[in-house]
Amino acid sequence: MEIEIQLTHEPIAEKISPPLPLGAHGAWLEFRGVVRGEEDGQTIRALEYQAYPEMAGREIRRLLQEISARHPCLAAKVIHRIGVIPVGETAIYVGVVSPHRGEAIALLAEFMDRLKQDVPIWKRRAIADGADSARRVTPCAPIEVRLPTSGGQGTARPTLKSLDEARAEICTHCRPLPAVRAPLAEAFGRVLRETVCAPEDLPSVDRATRDGYAICADDVSKTFSVVDTIHAADWKPRQLKPGETVRVATGAALPCSGLRVVMQEHVERDGDKLHVVRRENSTNVRLRGEEVRQGQPLVPAGTKLNAGALAILAMVGNVNPLVSPRLRILHLTTGDEIVPPDQTPKPGQIRDSNSILIRGLVQHFPCELLHAHLPEDFEKAKQSVSAFRLQPSAFDLLLVSGGASVGEKDFTRSFLEWLGFDIVFSQINLRPGRPLIFGVNGGAPVPRSSAATEGGSVPASRLVSSLAPPNKVRVAFGLPGNPLSHFVCFHFAVATALACLTGGEPPEFLRGQLAEKLDDKPCPRETLWPARLEWNDATPRLRPLAWTSSGDITCLTAANALVRVPANTSLLEQFAEVDFLPVTAMLGGGW
Amino acid sequence: MRILFFAQLKDVTGCDGIELAATAPLNCDRLWAELVKRFPALNAHRPNVRLARNWEYASPDAIFAGDDEVALIPPVSGG
Repeated sequence: MEIEIQLTHEPIAEKISPPLPLGAHGAWLEFRGVVRGEEDGQTIRALEYQAYPEMAGREIRRLLQEISARHPCLAAKVIHRIGVIPVGETAIYVGVVSPHRGEAIALLAEFMDRLKQDVPIWKRRAIADGADSARRVTPCAPIEVRLPTSGGQGTARPTLKSLDEARAEICTHCRPLPAVRAPLAEAFGRVLRETVCAPEDLPSVDRATRDGYAICADDVSKTFSVVDTIHAADWKPRQLKPGETVRVATGAALPCSGLRVVMQEHVERDGDKLHVVRRENSTNVRLRGEEVRQGQPLVPAGTKLNAGALAILAMVGNVNPLVSPRLRILHLTTGDEIVPPDQTPKPGQIRDSNSILIRGLVQHFPCELLHAHLPEDFEKAKQSVSAFRLQPSAFDLLLVSGGASVGEKDFTRSFLEWLGFDIVFSQINLRPGRPLIFGVNGGAPVPRSSAATEGGSVPASRLVSSLAPPNKVRVAFGLPGNPLSHFVCFHFAVATALACLTGGEPPEFLRGQLAEKLDDKPCPRETLWPARLEWNDATPRLRPLAWTSSGDITCLTAANALVRVPANTSLLEQFAEVDFLPVTAMLGGGW
Repeated sequence: MRILFFAQLKDVTGCDGIELAATAPLNCDRLWAELVKRFPALNAHRPNVRLARNWEYASPDAIFAGDDEVALIPPVSGG
């Protein structure tokens, strides 16, 4: 049976095409579950639904497969809306195609019964009529809910996601990929997934910090007999007696504990005899465990491994650390007006700067990137994907760069839905970058072939295999086509997703001061304004850079931060406190 | 392992989920013991809560370990 499942925050369309072309089959049964105006005897305005999307999609599929074994049907389409659903609107749509009506009716009836028992979706609360207070279906803490505002014809219009809401959605949907063991030489930039502790004390024995002579710390003798010589690499344990000394080199392992080292400049030696001329307060010894005690955490889980962290792992012999896998990213560009950078654009065309921009940005995350260009015609694009025989199950993340020649949002959104993604949001309250689309795979994440040591690149056999439509990439972004929007959306949204997928810390806004005033016409959206981050004493200072449109990237050579300008702000004075995303710190894992 | 809470269990625990660093694999009883230790109020919900492991309902003899994603599923009410 062909099965299509969507969980969506958006209203379910009035008309939905059948899951199979009609003509050959006798029955197309449609069912809509609609929110009633009454819940537990009270009049309500809306119900709020929540879901565990990864499992809900999988459970719906399992139920359909199980039930269709008893009631054979040809295809089923299930759409469940989540979030706040006003009274009278569809909460669930089920469409079934079967040879005859009996199977479809039986399957639908049983499916709806089982859905209400097993699929992890909840009516979270009812919103009472005529009152702002929300009444709970089940006990829950009050949370602020905004009902979709009514449009001109009484239809619900999706609200723009705020930056904070969008970021929370990304963090919710992007779960850490299974960790792998990788050799140190391939671990740079990956996220450590288990805390590495010291396997032993460091240093592991007492060591000399000077060239000189080791004696018992409390030995007050003036004259000693030299009983041995210890070089830096030697290990010669022995218990020193009063009046005995051993010659030691800097870094040498001392023969026992409780010693001090008299510098060679402070003694006179005569054959095997030694006279101590002067004693310092310093013992000139690095004590065992002085730097690190056995079991002490050295590098915590979640650390993005830089050169220094890798050196620590090498020091303690952790040569195959458990780390995030190398990400597999598929980047598709669209747009008929785009020509490769080495070609001369005709009037109406532009060179493709987004491909190299994305290639550069993702380099901060160990990954394999595959890029392909699609014609900005939906049918042709679908054919191209089939012609590439790309199997996105081989990828963790799909990025689609929208073209601008036709409605990029509609194209990218339809394309992602055709690929099997559930659209979590399709607009955010951001300038530049409002038409940012975020989609997740409704099914369960695909397990990697093995969690064992990785090889190197993705085997070609995993990239090319027949599948139509492919639907197993975990998360996808549709990036608005203008390059400055790309830059901003990457740092705000894609970098957050990459951090979550690798198990690292998503980038956080920091506080800083404006180095110059920022004078702008008020915009109803929040703006992430390209800026140059500089230091003034201990304070990050941000110099706003000039940009004229979402296609203007001339400021990007200097831009190393994005200043968050609140909505409807016309003027931020010099030295105003602002939030900013530090681009380089975020990507490099440190200043 | 990652433990997720849904619906009213979010209110009971005050969070969407926790990371549980288990030193050894846990059976259902041991897992519940760990959870109730952190969130005593969860215990009252146990008779009505099903456990899911990696996006499937777990059998009573399931073992939870390592990178498992575990969800506490209270009675559902979709549709």
